[in-house]
Amino acid sequence: MPELVVILAINGLIWGLIIALIALGLSIIFGLLDIVNVAHGDFFMVGTVLAWTVISYTGNFWLAFLIVPLIGMLLGCAVERLVIKPIENSPALSIVACFGLSLILQETVRATFGATPKRILDPIGITIPLLGLNYQIYRLFAAAVAIAAIVAFFLFLHKTKFGTWMRAVRQDRETAIALGLPSDRIFLVTFGLGTSMAMLGGVVAAPITSVEFRLGLDVLPLCFMAVIIGGMGNLPGTAAAAVLLAFIEGIITSFTEPTTARIISLVIMSVVLLVRPEGIFARRRT
Amino acid sequence: MPRRLAPLQILGLACFVLLLAVPYALPLLGAKFWVNIVAEIMIWSLFAASVNLLFGYTGLLSFGQALYFGFGAYGVALGVDILGLSFWPAVLFGVFVAGACAAITGIFAARLTWHYFAIITVVFSLIFFFVAVGWKSVTGGDDGRPFTVPPVLKVGGVEFTLLDPTFQYYFIMTVVGACFYLMHVILKSPLGYTFIAVRENASRLGLIGYSPYLIRYISFVIAGIFAGVAGVLFALFARYVSAQYLFWTVSGEGVIWALIGGSGTLFGPVLGATFLIVVREELSIYWEHYLFAVGVIVILFVAFAPGGLMGLLTRALDWLAKKPAERTAPEIAKPAPRAKGPGGGP
Repeated sequence: MPELVVILAINGLIWGLIIALIALGLSIIFGLLDIVNVAHGDFFMVGTVLAWTVISYTGNFWLAFLIVPLIGMLLGCAVERLVIKPIENSPALSIVACFGLSLILQETVRATFGATPKRILDPIGITIPLLGLNYQIYRLFAAAVAIAAIVAFFLFLHKTKFGTWMRAVRQDRETAIALGLPSDRIFLVTFGLGTSMAMLGGVVAAPITSVEFRLGLDVLPLCFMAVIIGGMGNLPGTAAAAVLLAFIEGIITSFTEPTTARIISLVIMSVVLLVRPEGIFARRRT
Repeated sequence: MPRRLAPLQILGLACFVLLLAVPYALPLLGAKFWVNIVAEIMIWSLFAASVNLLFGYTGLLSFGQALYFGFGAYGVALGVDILGLSFWPAVLFGVFVAGACAAITGIFAARLTWHYFAIITVVFSLIFFFVAVGWKSVTGGDDGRPFTVPPVLKVGGVEFTLLDPTFQYYFIMTVVGACFYLMHVILKSPLGYTFIAVRENASRLGLIGYSPYLIRYISFVIAGIFAGVAGVLFALFARYVSAQYLFWTVSGEGVIWALIGGSGTLFGPVLGATFLIVVREELSIYWEHYLFAVGVIVILFVAFAPGGLMGLLTRALDWLAKKPAERTAPEIAKPAPRAKGPGGGP
């Protein structure tokens, strides 16, 4: 059934674009602050939950695209000041602090939103015929939003002064600080921006997945895979790897069970980690 | 003349005596339920100690120790249930399976350090987690697989089984105690000092002729075996295994226990596991969302007491041991300066 393969490949592609958006947030936080943010998946989950909340209170899904990234920015900045800043000097401890953060986020959601998974109805509600199946237009829209957000992120990074500062800190932290860049503010905004991207990813993905407090646990390994296979700190590589991974996983899923597909991509990832820890897109060092 | 004991050693001895008295003292106090909790704490302490051996001594942060815990647990359960082994062969089989798994995955994992090491350990444990979830007929998947524990030994017609809570308690205490003693011996041996050396400066250790890779590998396998023993004990204790025990959040709990207790000290993980499991047992009665509090505790410790409970305890004891005139406000321990990048620098 070649139709099914194509459909699952397209679904994989769209999911990959959303993962790329989230993984880019993870990657800049890792690149600039040297923090392995294991709570990043939970920020994504909080994004889906907030999208659900916005719909149930205002009845308007599109409002979530506006509100949730803003909340993400504020939440991220608050977390950076309260949790990340006091432990700036120890990468190992920061993983543990982020683990604590992840517990706090999950329990807050479980206490307020509840433990049962909920679904958001397709907000567009129109389908188009695609290879004999009715395909949701929303999925195509989701892909478009993810692409737009990724493009906007790269434009911000390359065309604005603040983006240039961020790239400078990532390249050489000590020199950048010695030259007088406001590292404090840069770290704050970076964490806020990364969190905001994860939560925007949550809004985009909310109508496609179910909404529940454990969602982050599934997404986090995927994001890490994208960051590693793309090369730590290599942002275009991360985005490409996310799309590639989800696309391949989508195709494998059409032949076998999702669990097997996940195992295969994990094995691919460990091979990459061992053979090319600098990522598959990195130029060979001369 | 007897050697004078340090205050910490006196405290340790007192704890040992208290642990011996638990199965008789707690029922008298009307807290029979707690005998099993203390036994569980000892098992998880051993698990946290295996994380600590890697992180606190060798400097490798593993988020995948649950893999060896799970292999030990499944080893003993499937050894009894499918292979039909009796008690001791099944226990040895569980430890062997966990050790073999660590020996094979260690070949790859020990090549990496820092973030890369943390991530590859998660990846390895996730692979086997998904295998266990998918392979329901053997592992029972998420629902788990209960099994019947055979009797431990028979002496002249009298059977000792783990169904007797008092016997089970002493059995667990003996095994965990033996493991901690073994760990103490290893850490005080030249091998143990090379673990610390590889943490402090791998390239210098390489220059004087040791292989940092080999030392990391040995430490990884030893830690895997200890985690496997903890898994074996837990499966026997719970009479049940489940794929959930392979998930990376279990490893994460081990890391938290080790760090809250104080990594790089032999008994720090015991303190951490005790503290957080008691918090869990007491708080979860009153508050369903006690994990929120655990998250806050973790962040506060990491920010304000990076030495963990053991660090606080040592400082408090030092302060008490001084004459009142010498007492000053205890210094706040500063976190170590950041190690730059993977490998730990020159």
